[in-house]
Amino acid sequence: MSGRRSRSKQSSVSSITDDQITDLVSKLQHLIPELRRRRFDKVSTSKVLQETCNYIRSLHREVEDLSDRLSQLLASTDSDSDQAAIIRSLLMQ
Amino acid sequence: MASFTPNLEPAPDTSLQFKPKKPRITLQTPSSCPSNQRTQRIKRWRTQRDQHIYSSKLFQALRRSRRTSASREVHETADRVLAGLARGTTRWSRAILTARKVTKHKKAKLPTNNRLRKPDIYRERRKTPAVERKLKVLGRLVPGCRKLSFSNLIEETSDYIAALEMQVRAMTAITEFLCGGTGGGPQPPADRLPSNVNS
Repeated sequence: MSGRRSRSKQSSVSSITDDQITDLVSKLQHLIPELRRRRFDKVSTSKVLQETCNYIRSLHREVEDLSDRLSQLLASTDSDSDQAAIIRSLLMQ
Repeated sequence: MASFTPNLEPAPDTSLQFKPKKPRITLQTPSSCPSNQRTQRIKRWRTQRDQHIYSSKLFQALRRSRRTSASREVHETADRVLAGLARGTTRWSRAILTARKVTKHKKAKLPTNNRLRKPDIYRERRKTPAVERKLKVLGRLVPGCRKLSFSNLIEETSDYIAALEMQVRAMTAITEFLCGGTGGGPQPPADRLPSNVNS
């Protein structure tokens, strides 16, 4: 991992090579469901970054929706320790 | 070799006992040699065990707090538990935790990696302005990563995305349980969220 920052050895001022950039970008591409299918095509860095941002935003939205729903559910099933114990044991299975 | 295997089988009850005694175990995968550190990180948020641990912690936190009627509270609790699971190893998790300790309006300033900062003129030679713009947007989306170098940012993003996916899976599971499993919660598409890793 420390080999990535071999700043002193490189003649150019930039501390990261193009290969490393493409490596990282392809690693990111692999994580994104939209682009996973097109793994063998060359996807531009800009597109990968764009899709990453979109994906993170959509994940945020999903979490928002889920927490909204959870808050409503919790408000209705409040203060019932027996139920909580059951649910907790269910969660562990 | 493995003390546990992440798979479809139900996690044993001992996972509950693990938590108070050895919370460190949550981050360790079966492989323990340092050369597999990278693999460990890749599989970090994808095991069933991690998800179970997160679900139970989140559920307990939600039940403990009396103010869970607001969706924002639930969201923040979920983020906080998620960041807590990371044990301070990533920037975004530290940013989430410190942002909560301070007030909501002021985010704690994290030290940037100054020796990796390149002057602008050299940066433009490598990446186009469009890419630069998108990198900035990405840095704003991931908490605490506004001024990171390219490689750090990508690392943080990968970890953050994996953690978010797990968060979605776990919260969906909790929602379904609270609904009584009648299909009230949204079903994440199976091909979108890889939830199992067979080591």
